[in-house]
Amino acid sequence: LRVQSRIAPTSLDPTDPSQPDTVARRAISALVFDTLVTTDARGLLRPALAVAWQADPGNQRWKFVLRPDVKFHDGSPLAPEAVGASLREANPTWKIFPEADAIVIERDAPAPNLAAELARPRNAIVKRDSDALAGTGPFAIRSFTSGKHLTLAANEDSWAGRPYLDTIEVDFGKTGRDQLIALDSGRVDLADVSPDQTARATTGARHLLTSQPVELIGLVFTHDAQSPEDRALRSALALSIDRASVRHVILQSSGDTTAALLPEWISGYSFVFPDAQNLPLARQKRAELRQAPTLTIAYDPSDPFAQVVAERVILNAKDAGLTLQTTSSATPDLRLVRISLDTADPQLALGQIASQFNLAAPRFASSSSDAIYEAENAALQSQRVIPLFYLPATYLLGPNVRSVRLSLLGIPDLANTWLGAPPQ
Amino acid sequence: MNFRRKLLTVFALTVFVSVGAVAWIIANVTRRAFERQDEQRTAALIAQFQHGYNQRAADIARRIDAIATSEAATRVALSLSHGPTEAGEYLREASPLAESHRLDYLEFLDAEGHILSSAQAPAKFGYIDSALHDLHALDGKAPFLKIEELPESTALGLFAVRSNNAADRPMYVVGGEHLDRSFLSSLELPQGMHTALYQVAAPGFSAQALTDPGPNWKPLDALAPLLAQAQSSGREASQLIHWSSDAAEDETLDAIPLKGEGDKTLAVLLVSNSRRPYVELKRRIESAALFVGGAGILVAILLSTWAAARVTRPVEQLAEAAREVAAGNLTAHVDVTSPDEIGELAQAFNRMTTELLEQKDRLVQTERVAAWRELARRLAHELKNPLFPLQLTVENLVRAREQNPQMFEEIFPESAQTLLTEISNLKAIIGRFGEFSKMPQPQWQRVDLNQLAQGVVRLFQAQFRAGEPTAINAQLELASDLPAIAADPELLHRALSNLVLNAMDAMPQGGALTVRTRPRAEGVAIEIADTGSGMTPEECERIFTPYYTSKQHGTGLGLAIVQSVVSDHHGKISVHSEAGRGATFLIELPMNLDKLSSAAAAPPRVEPRT
Repeated sequence: LRVQSRIAPTSLDPTDPSQPDTVARRAISALVFDTLVTTDARGLLRPALAVAWQADPGNQRWKFVLRPDVKFHDGSPLAPEAVGASLREANPTWKIFPEADAIVIERDAPAPNLAAELARPRNAIVKRDSDALAGTGPFAIRSFTSGKHLTLAANEDSWAGRPYLDTIEVDFGKTGRDQLIALDSGRVDLADVSPDQTARATTGARHLLTSQPVELIGLVFTHDAQSPEDRALRSALALSIDRASVRHVILQSSGDTTAALLPEWISGYSFVFPDAQNLPLARQKRAELRQAPTLTIAYDPSDPFAQVVAERVILNAKDAGLTLQTTSSATPDLRLVRISLDTADPQLALGQIASQFNLAAPRFASSSSDAIYEAENAALQSQRVIPLFYLPATYLLGPNVRSVRLSLLGIPDLANTWLGAPPQ
Repeated sequence: MNFRRKLLTVFALTVFVSVGAVAWIIANVTRRAFERQDEQRTAALIAQFQHGYNQRAADIARRIDAIATSEAATRVALSLSHGPTEAGEYLREASPLAESHRLDYLEFLDAEGHILSSAQAPAKFGYIDSALHDLHALDGKAPFLKIEELPESTALGLFAVRSNNAADRPMYVVGGEHLDRSFLSSLELPQGMHTALYQVAAPGFSAQALTDPGPNWKPLDALAPLLAQAQSSGREASQLIHWSSDAAEDETLDAIPLKGEGDKTLAVLLVSNSRRPYVELKRRIESAALFVGGAGILVAILLSTWAAARVTRPVEQLAEAAREVAAGNLTAHVDVTSPDEIGELAQAFNRMTTELLEQKDRLVQTERVAAWRELARRLAHELKNPLFPLQLTVENLVRAREQNPQMFEEIFPESAQTLLTEISNLKAIIGRFGEFSKMPQPQWQRVDLNQLAQGVVRLFQAQFRAGEPTAINAQLELASDLPAIAADPELLHRALSNLVLNAMDAMPQGGALTVRTRPRAEGVAIEIADTGSGMTPEECERIFTPYYTSKQHGTGLGLAIVQSVVSDHHGKISVHSEAGRGATFLIELPMNLDKLSSAAAAPPRVEPRT
């Protein structure tokens, strides 16, 4: 299978914090590394490297029984010590003990979602040698050229069974234009494309594969609101943004507009946060301000979609009488941020969003939807973030690619994908 | 100010004013020439700018025409006419076309002016370009200037509008180029000139709106008045701007307003002309003028000194000779060195002194003869009085001896007494003349004038009382603070005695004689006043002339002796009198104390007194 990707990772280690946390990165990681627990298409936890797990009363001490006869790609067995070492690398504060054919994890506070936490890609089990990584996934790393190319080979001893594909060749750092040309010329079988490319990409013989909205795009303020005027200014800015036009024109109706942190398919209530533009009210709030300082906004300059969104936000804000200015400064007033959810668990997802938006950690009174709503609403009331869109993970498939399924979080299941003859 | 300085001042001023006037005229002519050159260069540059502008406008129009009639534009226009479509379909249309046609700006607009696709601002989809009020009117027209609203800024561009009418409703293509540094750099600028473009974005001056300012343009705020004038008037404006204290940094800036639709000024083309060549030439002229002026003044000094010397030296000689003449030296003579007016003046002066000398000699001769005549007359008169009794007495004695010897014996003693008396008178007359001719030099010693005055009055006290009841009342009014002076007491005594005798003669009927002394600033004064018959002014004028007397029996030598004594004491005598109201003689004497030391060193007088 020949794959082209927009990302250009310099490391395949799923815990490496220097690598952008994107769906595409997780898709690569999922081919090589397994987690103890995984999530099925309905969002339910399923056994992976752990066949059973159990929590003591209070949910502070968890025991995970490891799948037997699993080997890393280098041939070494999946021992509890290796699992513990891998998890400690990703979670230095956890207390992890090997115990016969299991590992025991102790947390300082009750952790009812620990199993779901272990389903996150960052908690994949990795055996780290001096200069090589080994996993237990369906494919093993054959060669890796940082930021450019990756060759994966089928893991003959995969605990889930040998994948259909023998090898996967991944070219990194490709633009959407490169991907489309490569697909049209038959040089690529699969490409992860930007959502704003989808309309153009779906022409011809290409097949589009779209996930649930899993990527949140939002404006994040660097600092908390300092005064009532500051709050009014942020309200005016939020009200001035015409999300619908951006979705309609730039995203070509893919993805969702949102004023919520969690996507509708996870929370089920995101519609209660209005996301429509209200320019009169925005102007009114602006008029109530004695003066509105010029706000600086930063975005990833290598991301064309982010650039267009930022410019549109600037134009919308101008219509409301606000002045925004782009900046490359490290300390802008606003930052356009993209977050790819790595969990379907609402509490964990909200925690991930809060963490990556630098919001206060959400507090949940219970695991109920009301408690999640309260926590999300509190995060939004802080006015540190203006959610804009939820975008799906989007892949273009060549005509001979068969049986590609996406997980809830947009990860393609290439272990069960196979290549057939192109249609005549 | 003397003549020489006046001459020097006039020469220097003449040179200075002449050189200054010439320098000023040259500087003005030069300035006008440079201004004309600046105007010509600016006009040429504006023409060049206009030519480049027109060429670029034609090129832009051609490229927009090509895009408007392209397959891509036709496809979009037809797609629009088929009803609502996904606006995102057109979003990326403009950018590659702009790139392929080398346009900075390119937008597709629907019939209502909504932006379908924008190369320069993709996020502006759906917005209406507020600068394009009437697309239909602009369609096909010549390119025009327009301020393009970008997400975060504005930019000045040269735009053209063309429509694609393949469908029922037109679709407009609006595109153009940024009017930036590259546009200005295409102009061929002469040395010392610079161009910049100011985009009129908002009221007031903004340095950020200025493209490619000149290297010396600091602070940029100095441009604000010129730009404001060009914007408000809509016409070309010019201003001389001083960028620093160095005048060579000055520049003449011309501001040419560039207008867009509706005659609105959208930008201002700034053309600067450096004043450095003019200022440097002006400085050279000033330096030359200063040098020439300085050299001229130096020459003027030398010339004026020479000329003044030629003119003033004879004049000064004349003045010196005149002073000598005034001092009594009638032999003063001036050299005649030139045949001009000064020479004539010198000749006239010499003639004058010669004539004065001759006249003096004649006068002296005349006076000498007159004096001798007066002396002879006086002598004759004085001698005639005693000679006549002598003659009568001798004739009586002769006749008595011949006619009556007894009688001779009787009258002989009496006649002999008369003869002796008259002979004594003759001797007295001769003695007085001899005394006047032998006036001795003063023997200096310290003298108390009060004491001297008291001694004189005391000497004549008996005679004052002799004439009772017609006695003379003598009074002494002596100053107690009278200082001692250096004088000859005997000569002064004689002088005072003469004055007292004169006063007594003036008061035959008695009267008052007052002798006063008083100190003066530089000596002492003594007055002898009487209440006698007094003198007329004419008598007062001649009274000190030797041998002049107003009395019947005087020799006329008394007051002459007094004046001689006073003069020998370096003093001064004067008289104040009116007829019938007495007379007052005033003698003013200096201290003469310096004579005491010389008197002590001098040998004593051995001449016997008579």
